Amino acid sequence: MAKKLSRRSFLKKTMAYSATAVAAATALVPEKAAAKEDPILKKQPWEVNAGDPVDIHPYGFPSPYEHNVVRRTHELLSSGDKRASVAMCPIHELDGIITPNGLFFTRTHGGIAQIDPNEHRLMIHGLVEKPLVFTVEDLKKMPSESRIHFIECPANSSTAWRGPQFNSLQFIKGMMSCAEWTGVPVRYLLEMAGVKPEAKWVLAEGGDSSHMARTLPIEKMLDDAMVVYAQNGEALRPEQGYPLRLLVPGWEGNLNVKWLRRLKLGDKPWHAKEETSKYTMLTPGGKAIQYFWPMEVNSVITNPCPEKPWTHLKKGDIVEIEGLAWSGQGTIKGVDISFDGGKNWVPAKLKGLVLPKAWTRFSYIYKWEGKPLLLCSRAYDETGTVQPTVGQEIAKMGVEAIYHRNAIITWEVKANGEVNHVEIRKPLVDIAKEAGWRK
Amino acid sequence: MRKFRHIITTLSIAAIAVVTSSASASEKMVKLKDGRVIIKTHVLPFKKKNIDGSAPYKRHGEYVGPYRINPQAEKVAKKLPYGQKATKEEIKAWDIDVRPDGLGLPVGKGTVDEGEALYEKKCQMCHGDFGTGGKGFPPLAGGDHDSLKNQLLDPNAGDEPPVRTIGTYWPYASTIFWYVKSGMPFPHPMTLTDDETYALTAYLLNVNDITFKNGDDIEYLDNKNFLNVVMPNHDGFYPDVDGPHAKQNIKNLLAHPEKYGDVTYRCMKNCIKGKVPVVHITNELKGFNPPMSTKRDWGGMNWILPNAGHKESFEEKVYNKVCSACHSNKAIGAPMIGDKEAWAKVLKKGIDKVYENAIKGVGAMPPKGGTNLSDEDFKKVVDYIISKSK
Ligand code: HEC
Ligand code: HEC
Repeated sequence: MAKKLSRRSFLKKTMAYSATAVAAATALVPEKAAAKEDPILKKQPWEVNAGDPVDIHPYGFPSPYEHNVVRRTHELLSSGDKRASVAMCPIHELDGIITPNGLFFTRTHGGIAQIDPNEHRLMIHGLVEKPLVFTVEDLKKMPSESRIHFIECPANSSTAWRGPQFNSLQFIKGMMSCAEWTGVPVRYLLEMAGVKPEAKWVLAEGGDSSHMARTLPIEKMLDDAMVVYAQNGEALRPEQGYPLRLLVPGWEGNLNVKWLRRLKLGDKPWHAKEETSKYTMLTPGGKAIQYFWPMEVNSVITNPCPEKPWTHLKKGDIVEIEGLAWSGQGTIKGVDISFDGGKNWVPAKLKGLVLPKAWTRFSYIYKWEGKPLLLCSRAYDETGTVQPTVGQEIAKMGVEAIYHRNAIITWEVKANGEVNHVEIRKPLVDIAKEAGWRK
Repeated sequence: MRKFRHIITTLSIAAIAVVTSSASASEKMVKLKDGRVIIKTHVLPFKKKNIDGSAPYKRHGEYVGPYRINPQAEKVAKKLPYGQKATKEEIKAWDIDVRPDGLGLPVGKGTVDEGEALYEKKCQMCHGDFGTGGKGFPPLAGGDHDSLKNQLLDPNAGDEPPVRTIGTYWPYASTIFWYVKSGMPFPHPMTLTDDETYALTAYLLNVNDITFKNGDDIEYLDNKNFLNVVMPNHDGFYPDVDGPHAKQNIKNLLAHPEKYGDVTYRCMKNCIKGKVPVVHITNELKGFNPPMSTKRDWGGMNWILPNAGHKESFEEKVYNKVCSACHSNKAIGAPMIGDKEAWAKVLKKGIDKVYENAIKGVGAMPPKGGTNLSDEDFKKVVDYIISKSK
């Protein structure tokens, strides 16, 4: 029965039947059986049957064969509700430096607002000469700029402070993505409103139900901050703040306020919930760091990784080790990699576009010998800052900071090619004792 | 910071090639006394760094960093004919923020007792009795201020984690007022009056054992006595961002990466003495949604169009937008949609009573679920839930 069902007629059925029927039909696809025949020797249904008409999807979708390339969630990463939660980007499946919009990681504090762009406004007020209100159309008429930048939640890999817990690249580092953003420099808007000399700080607030707000220094707003309406060439997705979001390149994801509706200029910071209760880093001794904005230099190897192991390799195979490096403080200068857990290092090569505050690909061509490895990467940026070892970071920050963990990530590659997330460090107590904050 | 006093050899550039041929010519490898071979990076001088420790974009001609720009745009920016003057009423409608110095506090008053009643009606189902949490939602009270010194390094040695709540961690009461007013109750923010917000703030301070500066108990809060509240952890944060040197203080931290654990050298050889200490996962977290898979198998068309051909009814829309916050969330204690037993029990008292309860509000169920639907429309939504729970 299954064999007689050509893919073409299968597709037709899919179109015609209800979702349940489709789900049932899916089970019939003889995926394994088909793979055994030589795909060149057999006539494939898609070569002997005309394909779908061009208007099948006025807005296109990925191939149904890519259905596993999706954002994923985990109960522990939410605040009790899927509207105050995070969906992780499948970075193990991404190529290049641009994240497709449907896969961009999504963090919300009050759910994904569905805003009518005709009813949306951006207000600029406070310590300005002339408080202004912009429509989305107003902003789109202004001269625009496009920039490629990553956005990373500072809680990325926060589950690993006390030790590795997830054996998955998506869940260790998936609270980040990188896109091309288009919009208007905030500088223009502030100039139009006329900044009063006493204005030192800007409150950025969203119009969604969380009304999430953060304080930013005027310096950043006059440098590279933008109000963006487009992402990878199309309108922002609702998950990313449609119709407007603030973009503060290189800074904590949370500061890139989505559904942006208000910029208020003031002479003092506001101390919003997300800059007191959250997004502050508790250090040994009990004091917490506040107003820590940039995402520090960081990197991770994406091939291999726990989801993409080397189990298919034979001894002597040549393989490309690949990864992502990024820094919110400038351009990636280089990446070193180590095969022995960080005892000895060699420089890898950067490849493709190397842009400030953007994902940067690195590569190393390697001959697999079938011997166990402890594989790790370490990036450094144009400010001269180098990614720390786990021990170096914990010595300064302790293990309760939650945010801004950028220590080196290590993969244990087993002789059979399996890949596991491990950490290279002494026992936490020993690190703390050496650092002097634990007796 | 590391001490580079122990440097004993500075290898020549030729010697570097022995270790690595791709290090740039100006990078010097140095061998430390302890055997490590390192390369010091070219650190951008403090003075040249931006406030966040970042490197400024290199600007030359029509370039900002790697991007070309249109310099004409910059010139006309100030003169662009877009944007309307914001009216006083518009600003007032949106100007909801409240600062620690009291800027933005509206006129109003609320007592701890009123706050308690409101809390039990509008907050308890998520945040637990007296703010103690326990349902996956953030706890709003409890813990010791002293616990902030805790670091959970070794649970076997009796280490405990720090407890971060309003009482132990939040530096300012203004943040409570502002956040509760603008973000809570979670399903329907911006529905509390200013008086109610004062009452809830007073209640949350009360359950956290916080008093006025002079030690007096908080019985009510208003816009006049509000600034007499000083939070236990008001000086628990650094750098100081409030005084006249705020920006210098911030740069002093952010532009010194060694202060937050980063380094400015690359160790290349002999970086770890002896055996490499490997820490494995002990309690692996699984349970991804959807389950992890990297297979390229036929996903069917329904993964793309899960609701293809399906139009949301009015009842469904209301349910998804409003009621689901509680009736699809086990933690709340509401009868869950689809839970046949739970709804059979609810319906034992007769449908009319159920309507009445739900319209008037019962227990943690707000009147009409917090909507302003007509009785008729609201009943349709109730019927929808019941039909999905048979
Ligand atoms: C439906 C469940 C729900 C209800 C009802 C609710 N909350 Fe919340 N509350 C949440 C969630 C979820 C968060 C976390 C939001 C986030 O992640 O930003 C939260 C966060 C908070 C916080 C911040 C906690 C912290 O430590 O950061 C406060 C304060 C708060 N709520 C107060 C209230 C008050 C007061 C009420 C009643 C008027 C209320 N909540 C009603 C779900 C709820
Ligand atoms: C803030 C959380 C919340 C929201 C939102 C909510 N409910 Fe409820 N609901 C509850 C809880 C809790 C109960 C159980 C109350 C009890 O028995 O103490 C309940 C009970 C009910 C009942 C049963 C009443 C009875 O007689 O036992 C109905 C019917 C109902 N809800 C309908 C709705 C509808 C319809 C909506 C949306 C328009 C809605 N609810 C929204 C929390 C909520």
